[in-house]
Amino acid sequence: MTSLLRRPASLAASIAMRPLHQAKSSKIKVSARPSMVFKRPELGNLGLRSFSSKETVTITYIDASGDEHPVQAEVGKHLLDVAHDNNIELEGACGGELACSTCHLVFDQDVFDTLPTKSDEEEDMLDLAFELTETSRLGCQIRVTKEFDGIKIRIPDDGY
Amino acid sequence: FGVVTGIDVDIIERLPTPYGLVRYGVAPDHPEVKNVENDFAALFENQNDASSVSYYGNVSVGKDISLSKLQSLYDVVILAYGCQAACKRLGIPGEDSLEGVLRAREFVAWYNGHPEYGHIGSIVQKCLWNTSGDDERELDSSAISPARVVVIGQGNVALDCARILAKGKPGLIDTDTPSQVLDILKGGVSHVSVVGRRGHIQGAFTIKELRELTKLKDEGNNATFIVRREELERGMTDSSKEELKGAAGRPKTRIDKLLQDSSKLYHSSDEDSKKQVELRFLMSPVSLVPKDSNSDRVGNVICERTKLEGEAFNQKAVGTGETESFPADLVLVSIGYKGMPLEGMEESQMFDQSKGVVVNEHGKVFGADNLFVTGWIKRGPTGIIGTNIMDSKDTANSIMSFLDLKNNNAQPQSSSSEDESESLFGRNGLEEFLKSNNVEFVNWEQYLRIESSEKEPSRLRSGDHPREKFLSVEDMLIAAKG
Repeated sequence: MTSLLRRPASLAASIAMRPLHQAKSSKIKVSARPSMVFKRPELGNLGLRSFSSKETVTITYIDASGDEHPVQAEVGKHLLDVAHDNNIELEGACGGELACSTCHLVFDQDVFDTLPTKSDEEEDMLDLAFELTETSRLGCQIRVTKEFDGIKIRIPDDGY
Repeated sequence: FGVVTGIDVDIIERLPTPYGLVRYGVAPDHPEVKNVENDFAALFENQNDASSVSYYGNVSVGKDISLSKLQSLYDVVILAYGCQAACKRLGIPGEDSLEGVLRAREFVAWYNGHPEYGHIGSIVQKCLWNTSGDDERELDSSAISPARVVVIGQGNVALDCARILAKGKPGLIDTDTPSQVLDILKGGVSHVSVVGRRGHIQGAFTIKELRELTKLKDEGNNATFIVRREELERGMTDSSKEELKGAAGRPKTRIDKLLQDSSKLYHSSDEDSKKQVELRFLMSPVSLVPKDSNSDRVGNVICERTKLEGEAFNQKAVGTGETESFPADLVLVSIGYKGMPLEGMEESQMFDQSKGVVVNEHGKVFGADNLFVTGWIKRGPTGIIGTNIMDSKDTANSIMSFLDLKNNNAQPQSSSSEDESESLFGRNGLEEFLKSNNVEFVNWEQYLRIESSEKEPSRLRSGDHPREKFLSVEDMLIAAKG
């Protein structure tokens, strides 16, 4: 019988670098990934997810450092996609399929109260979010409406 | 010579295929969790002038190239090899000597088609079908095995194992589970017991995986989910109630509610279900005993009833002396992974044997010049995919500080170091070394050939089948080079 003792997989990432003249010693910023939605043809409901009218409203994302980023958000688009379209740093590791909590957003109470009810599946993922609040939702589940004009949405810290 | 900005990253992987547990750990019926692959692939596709990422598959650090050689070729080396090689042990009789006792880790690797775990298939086949009394070849693919499986442990891996065994081929037909695996699982198994020594509040599973078990029947898997109200009550000690309080207790409160609701749902009509998955709490395995008919094979798991004692978040499961015997044709031990040192690291201070991690501070490895660590081999085998995001930021920050320091302290190159321009550095140095040592590495484009070959329509079971994985490194290399 083959020995069950295996050598560890050696996934070693190595960095080769010439001297950087702009290396920063401050906290690194992970640059926002471009929206991956259009690169995933296997998403069966792709058409539905990207549907939107041309109408836009102004919404402001407040990032973890407190900086405000006002953007034009297409009505009908999910807040995760709007963030990606506007180069706002909002992770969406599972691509918006309720398999993670990385698109965690915090709303003002009055806006939160108008949002459609959470599904069990969204609640299950929110359970894993860092610093969950009473007015937290997942950005991949909330579509922009006309009534969102002028609102501010906070992107919470991710624990780092 | 000119100063170039940007960072080049080379990723070295032992198997021809990348992605680690996303390919070989995440359950095949969780394809949405595998979506992170697209972000990883984008690293290789979306290169820019400032920096680049390259992939070197089929290269084993420790065998094909030493860690110290890598450290000499690169400014920084990051270890991100996870906890693949070992597991925690129960330390009970029969654990090592009886056939039919597997680590959940091996079972998972097998059902995901890992090239080094194909041999697990014949073990599972024997456990599921050799005692059925029927000639296995006569059974069709929806036949349900009468085998009783006991899974020890209650993390998400344990629940995954139970769910895969309950679903069988009909429930997994449209996933990327290899066809050879489905042929062995057939219609699934009739009884799975998932036992944990502590209460339901302390279980390491998360609600998503629990909810999937409660929905097995409604989703047409002919499998009832059972929890015993009595065990939920026993687990609800005053300390457990403390653990439910406040915002931090929200996830556990929801788990408690789901389990309470599930315990009410079971009624006699569920007798019609051909399969049953139960979660048993406050049950600690104390020995594995052989079958009467065959003393080499496991026959029963003897468990001792426990009770919880102690303060909230520190409750211990204490034996009560009362025992229960679980018949078992297959036992899956799912009590945690463990990290191992790389070859050459065993003797050094770099590896903490008891925790199974590389000793580090914010990802920088102690006692090594340019070595860093991230992921499970840095902090231990806990957390979900997303946990690694914060972890990697922490390590990346340490790396940037290190490079800053190195940059500021760098001496100007003297003209007498001509032999340094002879030996290659970084990516070029790696490729030169690998080629001169006849290491057949797989680059990104070649990996993409493996991927598209796995998706070749002629290999697939149906239009919904995402891919038929290659089950051997040889087949992967043929596809890569072809």
